[in-house]
Amino acid sequence: MEDFVYFFTFQDPSIAWVVLGITLLGVGSAYVGTFSFLDKKALLGDAISHAVLPGICLGFVLAGEKNPVYIVTGAFLSGAVATFLSSWLKRNTKLSEDTIIATILSVFFGFGIVLLTALQKSGNPEVAGLNSFIFGNAIGISESDLLLYGGLALAIILVLTVALKEFRLMVFDPEFGKAIGFPMKAITFLFNVLMILAVVIGIQAIGVVLMAALLITPGAAARFWTDRLNPLLILAAFFSVVSGILGTYVSFVIPQMPTGPWVVVFLSLFAVVSFLVSPKSGMLFRYFARKKYLTKTHREHLLKALYKAKENGRPGLTIDEIYELYPFQKPETKQSITDLEKLNFIDKNQQIIDLTSKGVTEAMRVVRLHRLWELYLNESMNIAPDHVHDSAEQLEHLITPELEAMLEQRFNFPALDPHQEPIPRPEKK
Amino acid sequence: MITQVENPILEIHDLTVSYDQNPVLWNVDLSLPAGNLVGILGPNGAGKSTLIKSIMGLIPPTSGYVKIFDKPLNDVRARISYVPQRESVDWNFPASVLDVVMMGTYGKLGLFRRPGKKEKDLAMRSLEQVGMTGFAKRQISELSGGQQQRVFIARALAQEADLYLMDEPFAGVDMATETAIFQLLKDMASAGKTVIVVHHDIHSAMNFFDWLIMLNLHLVASGPKETVMNEEMLRKTYGGKLNLLTRVTDLIRQKDFNPLKG
Repeated sequence: MEDFVYFFTFQDPSIAWVVLGITLLGVGSAYVGTFSFLDKKALLGDAISHAVLPGICLGFVLAGEKNPVYIVTGAFLSGAVATFLSSWLKRNTKLSEDTIIATILSVFFGFGIVLLTALQKSGNPEVAGLNSFIFGNAIGISESDLLLYGGLALAIILVLTVALKEFRLMVFDPEFGKAIGFPMKAITFLFNVLMILAVVIGIQAIGVVLMAALLITPGAAARFWTDRLNPLLILAAFFSVVSGILGTYVSFVIPQMPTGPWVVVFLSLFAVVSFLVSPKSGMLFRYFARKKYLTKTHREHLLKALYKAKENGRPGLTIDEIYELYPFQKPETKQSITDLEKLNFIDKNQQIIDLTSKGVTEAMRVVRLHRLWELYLNESMNIAPDHVHDSAEQLEHLITPELEAMLEQRFNFPALDPHQEPIPRPEKK
Repeated sequence: MITQVENPILEIHDLTVSYDQNPVLWNVDLSLPAGNLVGILGPNGAGKSTLIKSIMGLIPPTSGYVKIFDKPLNDVRARISYVPQRESVDWNFPASVLDVVMMGTYGKLGLFRRPGKKEKDLAMRSLEQVGMTGFAKRQISELSGGQQQRVFIARALAQEADLYLMDEPFAGVDMATETAIFQLLKDMASAGKTVIVVHHDIHSAMNFFDWLIMLNLHLVASGPKETVMNEEMLRKTYGGKLNLLTRVTDLIRQKDFNPLKG
């Protein structure tokens, strides 16, 4: 608790700096990542982030120490070579994109690990710090490094904000962009540069192995909540920043704990929660929507059964008869009876269940839709009368009043369905 | 049966187009008058989309050139509007109908300038013309095929062009929408605009277009509807591909070298 207060009150200026840096990094990488996620290029980010490792090592060798400018430049160039190579291979060979990306990722990363191991054997005491580039160490970043990483992040955010319209076009309809004379090749090139930069700024805080997660996961999680680009970008940035700060906090509290994995843990939490509970596209919402629909279906079938009993001149059905209609669904049937009673659609008189006048109108509506749909299948789609029942049984719950009106008009308020049963309508007053 | 015109709005001179090493359009040479509703007809794989894509400069020609309003394409882009095939974009992209229609104003805005009220009004007027005002705020993935098509046409209208090139704007569109869109295109043509439409249905083409271009890897016919719509032309267009031409194409592909380039 003491640590928590100490960390989040930012009394320590170095913590305040790190949090500011992580915030900029989070916003920048979430922005770029969301675009590449929408452009279905998520894997490219992963390849680039692994591919910057050899550049980091070479930068270190050239500088002879952990000089951030050398390392960032090395990482950027190495990422650029990987990006260029992947698009060159795509244009000039018949290899599929995933093969190219997998190859580039493993070759570059393997080479980087070889360099790293060789460096570690060299006995240079500064090498120890290089390990943090694998899984990241946000707390260990010095203020001068932060200035470089934060400055780059700020540049990314600015460029993306200014060229939002161009990047929107690049992802949604690049052909159209070309047709109106926009330099789409240059725009794509600029985006690739931003993408590599977004990876580079995260190498020290998050590490090369997990940087792709910080690019892609925020956008993917935020996509569950919104259908518009601007809110999507803002929400993705929010997820990314919060995860970044929490991950930094954990690596602050527990000595030797790398930051990257914890940032990914928090990001994944956001993603899982979004996947489960977001409205419309979330799992739980869809589960309950489906359940609600099935309950409604069952209720309407029950109403129909009661209506048909009435047509046959019976004063309702007994509870046992109703249970027998749906032999393996006793709990559902019981629930439907309770619901229908609450809706005032049915009356329970001792053991006999009958429709109320409100219930008759509702049951009539379902029966009418059923028979109208049967008529439509038979008349307009040439399906034999003995083949139309099953389809109607499912679609009667779906047909909207608008479609109903269209059906009625098409057949001019028909009296009989293909089985010569009457299509019921409430009497006009 | 190729009718050439004086002072054409669009002149295609000996255009040959290839994908990789594979020629898909051979020596197309035609000219079009202004203010017409022009249909491009032909079987699947005849090069209809390729023709309008190469007019728009989206595919570089292997040889030949295109002149629009007697000028090279890049000088007159602002006066041309292009409607790509509906399937060419991902409709799950997070955008509203209005967002997409606003893209039609990007060309005149230029790079890095944001659309403002003027552009929004123009986009709303364009939506009104295709009868989609009520859908402005709708997420584009919720639209039906015909509605998506109308959004694309509204985006083209927002470009306020003089020449319109539309790739299959009637694919997956219901009858009522088809008639409404055709009426809109007719009105545009009578207002002096030229509308070129890739189309697949010969029957409706007979009723709607003033001028027809018939393609089958090569140009079969180009001219006023009455002069080109006859049995011979239809047979040449739809009666299968020229056997010898296909053989030569195969040969070029096997060589992995295109002698037509240069």
